[in-house]
Amino acid sequence: MSHTVLVCDDAIFMRTMISDILAQAGFEIVGEAETGSQAVEKYRQLKPDLVTMDIVMPDMGGIDAVREIVKNDPDAKILMCSAMGQQALVVEAIQAGAKDFVVKPFQPSRVLEAVQRVLG
Amino acid sequence: MDLSQYAELFLAESREHLSACNQLLLEWERRPAAPEPVGGIFRAVHTVKGMAATMGYARVADLAHRMENLLDHLRRGGQPPADETLQLLFRATDALEKAVDLAVAGRERDADVAGVAAELDRAMARFAPDKARAAPEFVPPPSPPGDVGGTGRLIQVVLRPEAQIKGGRAMLIIRKAQSLGAVQGIAPSPAAFEAEEFDGRFAFRLETAHSAADIETAIRSVGDVERVMVGGDDEHVTPVESAGGRSRHIRVDLKRLDSLMDLIGELVTTRGRLNELAAERKDPAVDDVAIQVSRLSADLQAEIIQARMTPVWQVFDRFPRLVRDVARQLDKQVAFKVEGKEIELDRAILDELGDPLVHLLRNAVDHGIESPAERKKRGKKPEGEIVLAAVRERSSVAISITDDGRGIDRAQVLAKALREGLVDAHTETLSDDQLLRVLARPGFSTAAEVTSVSGRGVGIDVAMTKIRALGGSIEIRTEPGKGTSFVMRLPVTLAIVRALIAAVGTERYALPLTYVAETAEFGAIAMTTMEGREAMVLRDRVVPLVHLRHLLSVGGDAPPARRPVIVLEMGERRTGVVVDGMLGQQEIVVKGFEAPQGTLPVFSGATIMGDGVPALILDAAGLV
Repeated sequence: MSHTVLVCDDAIFMRTMISDILAQAGFEIVGEAETGSQAVEKYRQLKPDLVTMDIVMPDMGGIDAVREIVKNDPDAKILMCSAMGQQALVVEAIQAGAKDFVVKPFQPSRVLEAVQRVLG
Repeated sequence: MDLSQYAELFLAESREHLSACNQLLLEWERRPAAPEPVGGIFRAVHTVKGMAATMGYARVADLAHRMENLLDHLRRGGQPPADETLQLLFRATDALEKAVDLAVAGRERDADVAGVAAELDRAMARFAPDKARAAPEFVPPPSPPGDVGGTGRLIQVVLRPEAQIKGGRAMLIIRKAQSLGAVQGIAPSPAAFEAEEFDGRFAFRLETAHSAADIETAIRSVGDVERVMVGGDDEHVTPVESAGGRSRHIRVDLKRLDSLMDLIGELVTTRGRLNELAAERKDPAVDDVAIQVSRLSADLQAEIIQARMTPVWQVFDRFPRLVRDVARQLDKQVAFKVEGKEIELDRAILDELGDPLVHLLRNAVDHGIESPAERKKRGKKPEGEIVLAAVRERSSVAISITDDGRGIDRAQVLAKALREGLVDAHTETLSDDQLLRVLARPGFSTAAEVTSVSGRGVGIDVAMTKIRALGGSIEIRTEPGKGTSFVMRLPVTLAIVRALIAAVGTERYALPLTYVAETAEFGAIAMTTMEGREAMVLRDRVVPLVHLRHLLSVGGDAPPARRPVIVLEMGERRTGVVVDGMLGQQEIVVKGFEAPQGTLPVFSGATIMGDGVPALILDAAGLV
């Protein structure tokens, strides 16, 4: 059975790209979220095996979303999607409970490596 | 917390950085407008500061900090430095070098850094009055875990240089470690992980029941990990690696190489025995094994010798600074050139070479090179030239120091030698060889006045004694008005040499082939005398003879009437050594040799023969 994924990013471009990378590797994209609060809500509904989470999103940021999700499900497997220069935010996200991170621009191989580590 | 185990490493690395400092200062002095040297000096001093602070050497760190302040200012200013600033930096580098040595010797209190530190501060105040006042005292890096009472294994991690967002990766590793046990004493603090400048080197303590291998596997599983070092309990945090990153080299204690060398020596000896046994057995299977063992041990021996080889620049690199300082002190102008820096010598030989070279270089500047005025008067360039060159010869390395100075006045040396009765009363001229022997007499000096630099007559005899002790030779060539050249020839390695094995009475003696010119047959060649000594005539040359039998007071049966003469050669000098018989050539492993009082000074060491019986090695320099 393939793993289920929730993709959270405010940019359609990024969501599409991540979805493509993961779908091609055999993952099942079960949902997408554009804001932090949507991510928290969809996680509760869908109980995905994996979440990819952008750091900067409107409404509720990615880090707060991680805190909320982990509060309800300490085993949640969340992969942060960050950009160069977000060192401090990444560290904060990990302290909040994110399991790994990838750095934009995404290289499919590195994304998949990180996903394997998170699920492994 | 025991830091002493890191002291040697600290010393070695600090010296490298300070040596680089000196090189760069010299370069800066030559090309004051060049921007590169100051950046390099700054980084070197900065690295020393960080290491010293980690070791707890407060004075060293403080001095380095003040230098760094000034250098940082100069680096940013981009202006060519004033001469007095450069001289101050030279002095500060010297002071730092001394402080490092004293600190490692456990005598940091004796390091007198206050004077230079004050000068550095004054210089800083001249450049930037506000900055000097605000110059913060040096703040040591975050306390390593040991000092905050942390317990558990010391884990040191270096992330790949290309890893992105290293702080995030470091944090993931900390989280991973937390899943194995209790993590304490993270250094630098997690707050530092958030900084973009975080370089991916960090350490922490982990209290866990997991094995070192499990810990490493877990940490590596996080990804982007270059190196993980899992220590035992109570180990101190040290800088994970020197600046500069991924070296493919490791440091090995020279003692390890020495003991490897001893072991291979014993293996070579055992191999000899095996070959003898195989020859007796005449069993092809045993022969095959013996041949293989021979080949493998020869390869192993070659590898170990290679591992001991060190390029001469490791010693030569401090000389440009030395020559410059001496020349400045004596108001002389000297262009100093180094050639053949990459030539390699056995580490043990190279380590001993520094002192003799210092003496000879000082002599060259002091006695060789004339003052600029005198040079002009003689139609020479005001700037003298000294060349230090290393050249690989067949089985030795020749190191020469050549100056284009005034040369040695043979007549003056001869007059003094005659007065002191060092040569025969009827000697009219001194050959190069005699000249060297006279100059090398302890205390012999023709310097009109003893300068603080040299001229105490210690130079050449110290150099000659040292070079000979290393199994080498030294020659001099000098021409009045044109200059002087000293050439030292040294074996490439001390440890294993090919030697001729000679028999005298019931004993065997080894003569290193490096000095064997040829062999002849006593009883079949024309004899003569030379200065009252027995000598033979070999192709129109008179070669004095030494009978080893007489020299070593060997009794027993009379030797055969016809017996071998081994002609030893050192430089221009030759001597024939008469022995009872010759047993062929062999590789021998040289063992140090503490000669008992009263032993003739003709042995340089000992070796163990294939059958396990020791044999003495004859010192060519003592015989010729």
